[in-house]
Amino acid sequence: MPGDIRPDWWSKASAGAILGFGLALSLVGLYAYLGPGGINAPGGRYSLMRYLEAFVWIAVVGFCFLFRSGRAAWAWLGAANLLAFAALFACRFYFFA
Amino acid sequence: MIRADIVKLYKTVHTWTGITCGFALFIAFYAGALTMFKEPISRWASPPAVGVAAVSLDDAPRLLELVAAAHPEAREEGIKLHLRGNENEPARVTWEEDAPHQEGQAHEHVHWWATLKPDGTLLAKQEEPSELADFINHIHMRVGIPEPWGSYFMGVVSLLYGVALISGVIVLLPSLIKDLFALRVGKNLKRMWLDAHNVVGVAALPFHIAMAITSTALSFSGPLWSVQESVIFGGKQEILNDLDNEPFRAPKPIGEAGVMMPPAQLLQKLKVQASDFEPRFMIFRNIGDKAASVRVPGAERGYVGDTHLGGVMLSAVTGELLKDSTRPSRQDPDRRASETFYGLHAGQYEGATITWAYFFLGLSGAWLFYGGNLLWIETRRKNARKGGEVEQSRSTRLLGSATVGVCLGCVAGISLTIVAAKWLHGRVADLNHWHELVYYAVFLGSVAWAFAWGAARSAVQLLWLCCAATLAIPLTTLLAALFPALDMWAHGSAATIGVDAVAFIGALCFAWMAIATTRRIRNGPADSIWSIQKAGDRAAPREPMALPGGGSVTLTVPIRLNR
Repeated sequence: MPGDIRPDWWSKASAGAILGFGLALSLVGLYAYLGPGGINAPGGRYSLMRYLEAFVWIAVVGFCFLFRSGRAAWAWLGAANLLAFAALFACRFYFFA
Repeated sequence: MIRADIVKLYKTVHTWTGITCGFALFIAFYAGALTMFKEPISRWASPPAVGVAAVSLDDAPRLLELVAAAHPEAREEGIKLHLRGNENEPARVTWEEDAPHQEGQAHEHVHWWATLKPDGTLLAKQEEPSELADFINHIHMRVGIPEPWGSYFMGVVSLLYGVALISGVIVLLPSLIKDLFALRVGKNLKRMWLDAHNVVGVAALPFHIAMAITSTALSFSGPLWSVQESVIFGGKQEILNDLDNEPFRAPKPIGEAGVMMPPAQLLQKLKVQASDFEPRFMIFRNIGDKAASVRVPGAERGYVGDTHLGGVMLSAVTGELLKDSTRPSRQDPDRRASETFYGLHAGQYEGATITWAYFFLGLSGAWLFYGGNLLWIETRRKNARKGGEVEQSRSTRLLGSATVGVCLGCVAGISLTIVAAKWLHGRVADLNHWHELVYYAVFLGSVAWAFAWGAARSAVQLLWLCCAATLAIPLTTLLAALFPALDMWAHGSAATIGVDAVAFIGALCFAWMAIATTRRIRNGPADSIWSIQKAGDRAAPREPMALPGGGSVTLTVPIRLNR
């Protein structure tokens, strides 16, 4: 049985807001490179991306209070950001090299 | 089953996101509900004019030629030919020109209309159209805060609104079956309001999810765009964007004279080439040139977002389709998805049914945020009471006053600024500026009033103000019809009479709320902020009195102040 969740309002909320935005940007960026049509897909894509980014961002901020503590939120979301941004910049390097 | 500690945690999240965003969301939803009827409001506010009918479509070629010859800037930038004959179309053709400005500086535009005199010569006049409907839309988008801060502010609010939805659902889930369809109408009014808050929130949840996502994206549109460009695309977005604007760009003039095809014939050609397309108006560029073109924005029914962005471009000489990649059936999959998001936000699908549905969903949303604030206040009171009656805490009283002042100030301000469209027309130099002055004066005045008098007294007074201001909308039209000397107007179209009729019904609702609130502040528990009695003045009844008309009625009313 896991222990009680610590509220940690400010550390969780800041992790959700900052790292949630980073995750939104990097994941949706990966869609821009790897989605159907790739980076040269018609221009409707970056218009759609704003809505997808908002969706991911809201979801992360909304659910980030489920982390055991603020420290856990920063650690997990930070790791996810590192992975997603690494993949994104790999794509950028690969497609624009 | 969700653990109790998680539910407790998310109850706090729901409370605080709700309390901090409730005001802004009330304004956005109330003004947004009205924005569903942007076109009728714009028609209601437009003074009588020459109109489209003054020049038949068969005489339009001559009018277009005369305008193009006399106004070279319009010939190049586009001359708009109106087709529908609505009151907000001042004449058969209109166009915009740059206001005098220094080269390269940001500048305003001035508006022109033109018609044919009986002798067949040109009559062109510069006249600013009513921007009332746009102003209400601005209040909807940025709650009256100047750009760019208004958009940033509403972006944060929209994000927190999404978080409030997630947390609200988590809180409700464990008792969903038990609570959802149980509207416990009865003596425990707080329970009844919570039940109503839940049922309205869950029933409209798909609408709210769509709104939270799209409003966050639309409010943060500019910053998101820049960040995408620098982090994801690395300069490529601008190139793609340029490509994307290509279908909207008119061909360059080639300098050879060409014979223009008459608009009526162009419309026939359009009908043959795009049979499901409903044209709204036509924009002519480079009239007289062999490369002259006409862009026709319009709707393609059966799609979400059917009227947004879609349009086709024809050659104004041959009537052949030049560009046709922006209407819904021709959009690429990503654009279609993005336009679907937009259409879900703006209620642009399935015509009038969805317009009315969004109107009531918007009002129910406003009610939700309002009722949420009141539930918090009531809970604080009950926690503080612990058996005996207490003085209300300072924060509870201030929040009560702010809720009353902001919400009712917005309602009264919008109604009065609509009324001003007729009373001030021709009597002030810059009517569009006065719309803002009237709104802000009423809004800020109401907030000050609510703090000065307290939530209970000011709620009744401001509700009567809302009633009077909203009733003034149909009364103004009535007066205009009865007394032509007032120099106002009463349009006879169904759309504009609809504005008067809806305002009349709205005024009756406000009157009913004012009467119910009066009862509450006299007879309700004295330690509530909704009471004008001093705590301890007399033995208060254990629970507030029941409402006239029964509790279930409250569900259909957008805002209620007396709980």
